Amino acid sequence: MITPELALMLIFVSIAFVFAYLAVEERKLIRAVVYSAVQSAAFAFLFYLLGAPDIVLVYVPVTVGIYPAALLFLIRKTEEVENP
Amino acid sequence: MSGVRKVASAVALLAIVAVLSLGAAAGGMGPFFDGIRALGTFYLSTAPPQIAELVLGPSYRGLSSYSPEVVTSIVWDYRGLDTYFETAVFFLAIIGAVAIYRGIEEPVLRRPASGLSPIVRAVTKFLIPINIAVAASIALHGHLTPGGGFQAGAALAVAPVIVIVVFSRRYLLERGVTKLKALFLRSVGLIGIALVVLIPVIWSVLSGEWAWVMQNQWKPGAEVFSYPAYLGGALISGSIWFLNLFEFLAVSFGFTILFLLISIDEDTVRSCMIRGGEECDRY
Repeated sequence: MITPELALMLIFVSIAFVFAYLAVEERKLIRAVVYSAVQSAAFAFLFYLLGAPDIVLVYVPVTVGIYPAALLFLIRKTEEVENP
Repeated sequence: MSGVRKVASAVALLAIVAVLSLGAAAGGMGPFFDGIRALGTFYLSTAPPQIAELVLGPSYRGLSSYSPEVVTSIVWDYRGLDTYFETAVFFLAIIGAVAIYRGIEEPVLRRPASGLSPIVRAVTKFLIPINIAVAASIALHGHLTPGGGFQAGAALAVAPVIVIVVFSRRYLLERGVTKLKALFLRSVGLIGIALVVLIPVIWSVLSGEWAWVMQNQWKPGAEVFSYPAYLGGALISGSIWFLNLFEFLAVSFGFTILFLLISIDEDTVRSCMIRGGEECDRY
C-alpha cells in the first residue's frame, strides 16, 4: 500500500509543513526567509518524486536562490524584526 | 495567549493542506488516469524523431518537433506562442524596473569593497564557475534533457546574487558586469528570439512559399520551410536550440539587471528620486 516513493513524499511534505509553520511564526524576518527556502527545497524534492524534473530545474534557482535574495534585499530596506 | 495563537496558526495551516487534499482526492482536479492521456500519448509519440518515425512512418516530420525532450518541445514548438508572450510579460516587468531606476548610479568610490570572510569568498570563487557551467549545460542540452532557456537563465542568475552578497556590488561592476552590458546582452537575447520566430515569415515573403510564424519543422500546408534538425551530425531540434540559447541570455541578464538595480544603496536612490535627475547625473 505505502510504497517507498509515497513514504518519501510523506516525509518531504512533513518537512515542508514544519518549515512553513516556522516561517509564519518566526519574528526575525531573515530567519523566516531561510525557513521558507528550506520549505521550497522540500517541495523541489516532491516535484522530482512526482516526475517533473523540468519544474525542479526552474523551482530550485527561483525559490531557493532568487526569491530569498529579493526578499533579503527588501528586508535590508526595512526592520529586521517583525512587530506585532 | 501566545501559545494559543501558535496552535491556531498550525491548525490553520493543516486545515488548508487538508481541505486542498480533500478537494483533490474528491475529484476537484478532474479525473485521474492510471495511464497516459490521449494528448500526452500524442506528444510523447511525435516529439522524439525516432519514435515519430516508428509510429507515423515517413510522414512523421510534419508532426515531429525533432526533440526527445517532450516538455521543451511543447514549450517552444507545440505551444511556442504562449512561451513567447510569457517572455514578453517578464521583460516588460524588467523594463519597468529599469525605467524607475533610470539615471541612478551608485557613486563609484564610496568605501573599499570588503565582503564576507575569506573562507566564504574562497568557496564562492569555486562555486561560481560550476554554477555557470551547470546553467550553460541546462540551456544547451535543453532540447535533449530536462531543462531549457528559462531554467538555465534562472540558474545563472543565482551567480550575480551570490557575488553581490559575498563580495559586493562594486566587485561585480569591476569585473565588467555592468547594467549597460547586461541590457545589451538581454536585448541580443530578445532580438534573437524575435528573429528565430520571424525568420519563417521573412523567408515566406521572400520566396513566395507558405510558412507559419514560429514554424520549426515543415508542417502540412507549409512543406518547404524547415529549420535544420541536425547541425554537423548533432541533433539541435531546429529552432528549439536557438530559442533556448537566446532565452538563456535574455533571462539570465534580465535577472542580473534587476539585482544590480535593487542592490543600489537606498540613500542614493532616495536622494536621486527626491532631488530629481539633475543631481543623479553627477555620479
